[in-house]
Amino acid sequence: MRRFVAVALALAAWAAAAQPREQPPVPGAPRDFRLPGRETLRLDNGLALTFIDYGTVPKVTVLAVVRTGNIDDGESTWLADVTLEMMKEGTATRTAPAIAEAAAGMGGSLNVGAGAEQATVGISVLSEHAVDAAELVADVLRNPAFPAAELPRILSNFERSLAVARSDPQSLAGEALARRVYGDHPFGRAFPQPGQLAGYDIAAVRAFHDRNFGARRTHVYVAGRYDRATLEPALRRAFGDWRGGAAPTELPATPADTLQLAFIDTPGAPQSSIRMAVPVPHPAHALYFPTTIMNSLLGGAFGSRITANIREDKGYSYSPDSSISARRGTALWVLSAEVTTEHTADALAEIYGEIDRLQREAPPAQELDAIKAYRAGLFVISNSSPNGVLGQLAFMDLHGLPPEFLAGWVASVHGVTPPQVSEVAARFIRPERMTVVVAGDLAKVRDAVLRLPQLEGARMP
Amino acid sequence: MIRRSAAIRSVAARPWIGLIGAVLVVGCAAQPITGESESAASSGVGSISIPVEYYKLDNGLRVVLSRDDSAPTVTVGVYYRIGFRIEPKGRTGFAHLFEHLMFQGSANLGKMEFIRLIEGNGGIVNGSTTFDYTNYFQIVPAHTLETVLWAEADRMKSLAITQDNLVNQQGVVKNEVHVNVLNQPYGGFPWLTVPQVANVNWHNAHNFYGDMADLDAATLEDARAFFETYYAPNNAVLVVAGDFDAAAARAWVAQYFAAIPARPQPPRPDIAEPEQAAERRDAYVDRLAPRPALALAWHVPARGTPEHWAFSLLDQILLQGEDSLLWQRLVQQRGYTGSVAGGINLLGNEFTYDGPMLWMVYLVHDPATDPAAIVADIDAEIARLQSAPPTAAQMQRALTKTRAALYDLAGSSTRFGLVDLLACFALFDDDPARINRIEPELRAVTPELISDVARRYLVPAKRTLQRVEPGGAAAGAAP
Repeated sequence: MRRFVAVALALAAWAAAAQPREQPPVPGAPRDFRLPGRETLRLDNGLALTFIDYGTVPKVTVLAVVRTGNIDDGESTWLADVTLEMMKEGTATRTAPAIAEAAAGMGGSLNVGAGAEQATVGISVLSEHAVDAAELVADVLRNPAFPAAELPRILSNFERSLAVARSDPQSLAGEALARRVYGDHPFGRAFPQPGQLAGYDIAAVRAFHDRNFGARRTHVYVAGRYDRATLEPALRRAFGDWRGGAAPTELPATPADTLQLAFIDTPGAPQSSIRMAVPVPHPAHALYFPTTIMNSLLGGAFGSRITANIREDKGYSYSPDSSISARRGTALWVLSAEVTTEHTADALAEIYGEIDRLQREAPPAQELDAIKAYRAGLFVISNSSPNGVLGQLAFMDLHGLPPEFLAGWVASVHGVTPPQVSEVAARFIRPERMTVVVAGDLAKVRDAVLRLPQLEGARMP
Repeated sequence: MIRRSAAIRSVAARPWIGLIGAVLVVGCAAQPITGESESAASSGVGSISIPVEYYKLDNGLRVVLSRDDSAPTVTVGVYYRIGFRIEPKGRTGFAHLFEHLMFQGSANLGKMEFIRLIEGNGGIVNGSTTFDYTNYFQIVPAHTLETVLWAEADRMKSLAITQDNLVNQQGVVKNEVHVNVLNQPYGGFPWLTVPQVANVNWHNAHNFYGDMADLDAATLEDARAFFETYYAPNNAVLVVAGDFDAAAARAWVAQYFAAIPARPQPPRPDIAEPEQAAERRDAYVDRLAPRPALALAWHVPARGTPEHWAFSLLDQILLQGEDSLLWQRLVQQRGYTGSVAGGINLLGNEFTYDGPMLWMVYLVHDPATDPAAIVADIDAEIARLQSAPPTAAQMQRALTKTRAALYDLAGSSTRFGLVDLLACFALFDDDPARINRIEPELRAVTPELISDVARRYLVPAKRTLQRVEPGGAAAGAAP
């Protein structure tokens, strides 16, 4: 089986090896991987509590995921982000420095953040501090003081971040893509307008919290090692009498699916930032698994075709990547590549070429098997820690996915066939429906990009 | 926000996918272990204990095995003691370029085949280059360990690259420099820019990513000489951590690595930094930066000394976390910035280098803020520690933070931080079990020693100030 040929003269093999090549040893049998046990219960006020009993080290994460975020910004872009940051500035009984010191004293730091559809308040601490951590998270969620004196400082921090993002070609390309894809939906407003942040007052922040935070929208996850007998009663005490509040906002986004092209001029830039996006099946859709595997094979792995082509063959790019970016009820395939200025159109042509080839020819079984094994292995690695499982469950809860999504994940991946991969590529990764953004030195790249046949007739907003 | 740079990598670490402001937030779930606090401390409980088996093959290869069956995966790291500090003059950036070449083919695996072998077995693969080592690592399902060991041995004994592949990777590396340094605001600041000013020894003060002309000048002959010199088993450490059978692992290590011949190593160049006698100041214009930025850097005590352990805790007290003195003063009270960052060794942590090192503090601020005012505030916090030892509460928090970080390291599903520490303690100290002495060493630090270290090391004459001035490149607008 194993043709191990001892190679004594190792360095002689520098040039192309003249000897017959050794084959890699064949791996043994895969070991069982079982997802950790978990239990979800619901308090009377609607708050969901999930316990994930997992891990080998005495640490525990308490993370509250609230179904709010930029989706509730309305016209006030980043108001969700500002509100979350302001929640760290103190509660009815704790100042900001007291919160920071309490968190550090437990071995953690309080993390808050606003995403598109989920806001989070959480902390990871030494297990002995689990109850204190739960109480801290509940206090910050429920009783923010919103000190008006701190708001100008927080707003100027966001202004500074915005200024940096506006000077970063990658951020600019991402913002332009979101705007073209999501239009007037809050998901389309990645940056506030100039001067807009300065108009937010403490009343707006308080109102955002009042409207969007409450037990009905909140799911608290506990993952790691902890004493359930003390932690569960503590969580019930901390959250049991919280107001129910409003149900989550239903504001479905409809991503654009017609050909559009946007340029952003970054004179003197040595690279162009290419972004492409097109709607694909969302995680609850029957075709999600073939689509996500298709993505890995096309551009979502180092061994993928686009990386092999524009990086390892042509040297146009360091880190091309494609991925599926999901929102509730919808998803996008997004390709990102930073490419050498002089080869911007060449890189785009190669990407289109790889899409076309996959649409026309089913991939060889061997290539697909390797990609499926890669994704199955990643599944084990990413679910082998308490926080990994926690993130996975929060994703499933957002998208309304049943437990079978996780339990059947590996089997679903292995069930994908070569013709299915080509079919979903042909059906969804359609150049004539894509939004394309190129941020670069337009004097050098614009004309060549416009000559690409796939971009002929593109709407240029 | 400025993000702290990761090590220079062969494969981009799949950054930033999705859309700005619209990325799924999973709170702590996606958070990496903070680099500079990978150490441990007591909150009154016993010390953490990592299993460590350490031995050497006859050819000098150092082997570290650390078994735990918390997940059916195994992490393999091969660390070579060649970083960008000792790359050849006239070939800046070569250590990193060469790291890329290690993925370009060996006697038995052609271009892309190494990567496809690992990914096709369900694993993750990458490499990185830092000050004093270049590493290659895989995180794979446990049952594929033998395959990975074979593949790492294969490229240790028989790199085989072509002129085409060299040219290809020169292009890839130039794109990497563009994306990480030249085409983003604050690119390379401060991890790449400050050492060039704060140090005088060329080894510590050159452009680690490489000048474009030097990258272009690299030849196959350079690569061959570099490989033959530094990629020898007696200049390397192999770490296997995770779920494996120790006897089988030892047998495979012997089977695949033992026949690779040792090669004489050249004497290491002198990378010592002379003691700094006067403050150094520098400023440069960043074309893309919209706001000014400021970095301060001081030389830290030699690794392994009591003063260095004290400096670890000093870093925790002054700079790590939102409870730290500098965060509270600069961010919370003064509002100069939304975040102050830094630490010992921005490409790793206080244990993962061997030689001179800087402790840095950096931030982006507004044009209306006088940098002198920021420096005065930093000096004031340092002066507090110089004049009075940290309080018991400060000591306790510093130890608790580091203890929690060490548990994160041990409990991580990638085990990458764990492998990093085991490898560095083997590579630099011939003693990977040192990982289990981090906590006791930190606990032995007295508050008085921290104060003493602040007085001796954190003085203006021994520091470097670097300012970044906003450039003129306007943000692009759609025509």
